Amino acid sequence: MGKLKIRFFTIADYEDEELWLRKQHQNGLKLVKMTPPCFYKFEECEPEDVIYRLDYKNGAQTEEYLQMLKDFGWEYFTHCVGWLYFRKPASAAKTEGEEELFSDNASRVDMAEKVARTRLIPLMVIFLCCVIPNLINAANGVMGRLSTFFGVFFGAMFGIYLFMIIYSGIKLNRIREKYKD
Amino acid sequence: MNDKIKRIYVPMTESGFYILFCLQTPQHGYGISQQVRRLTGGAVVIGAGTMYGTLSKMEKDGLIRFYSEEDKRRLYQLTELGREVLETEIKRIERLYKNSRGENIDG
Repeated sequence: MGKLKIRFFTIADYEDEELWLRKQHQNGLKLVKMTPPCFYKFEECEPEDVIYRLDYKNGAQTEEYLQMLKDFGWEYFTHCVGWLYFRKPASAAKTEGEEELFSDNASRVDMAEKVARTRLIPLMVIFLCCVIPNLINAANGVMGRLSTFFGVFFGAMFGIYLFMIIYSGIKLNRIREKYKD
Repeated sequence: MNDKIKRIYVPMTESGFYILFCLQTPQHGYGISQQVRRLTGGAVVIGAGTMYGTLSKMEKDGLIRFYSEEDKRRLYQLTELGREVLETEIKRIERLYKNSRGENIDG
């Protein structure tokens, strides 16, 4: 039996998402698929301690990469807008290092910076070049009778984008600081 | 060795050093991680993502080169530049080691 859960994680919450998925699996729910922005499809299973890890490849994963992760004991089971989902039973990780995809801080910082570069900056561009101009147009009544509708729509977008940009920006920076020597 | 390579790789991360060290003989990523585990008695464990990322970067920077492919696994090998970087690192680590034992370096 499948089960759908709704939970929203921003582009900067991948470490929280990993922990949440691990907890689900401990409670007998294994993730099957993630559909943006917030739908998680689970399948019931035996409760087990399974480590979940997300890697952000932005579509650049190669066969060699997937093979290497498999060699290291990671099961690749789904992907979602640039993010790849891996898991490994905790019992298969004999040392702390085997629980991680990234074993040094340099590569953890790299990942946070890659997310900022390829996801946060496009969000800012959309915000500055689309959301704000449209909101201004709507406020000036340029869109005629639909101005109220667009005003409300772009007003909401303005709020959502502003929140996402500030929240993700601060959090990605915090991840970077945490791992920076 | 140009300045850019020097800036990135001297000094290098512990995983970077072990990866270069192991690639004196051709190997794939998982093989390297197994060898590092044996060499260090399990003290240094390189994660899959770090291994892949480091290999890609080192190949791009010309420290290692593609050697051959075995069932979707790419084997890499040290280049001349890679050997030069490795030797520079070994000298640096030797100096650290000697100094930490209270020895001075002459010259």
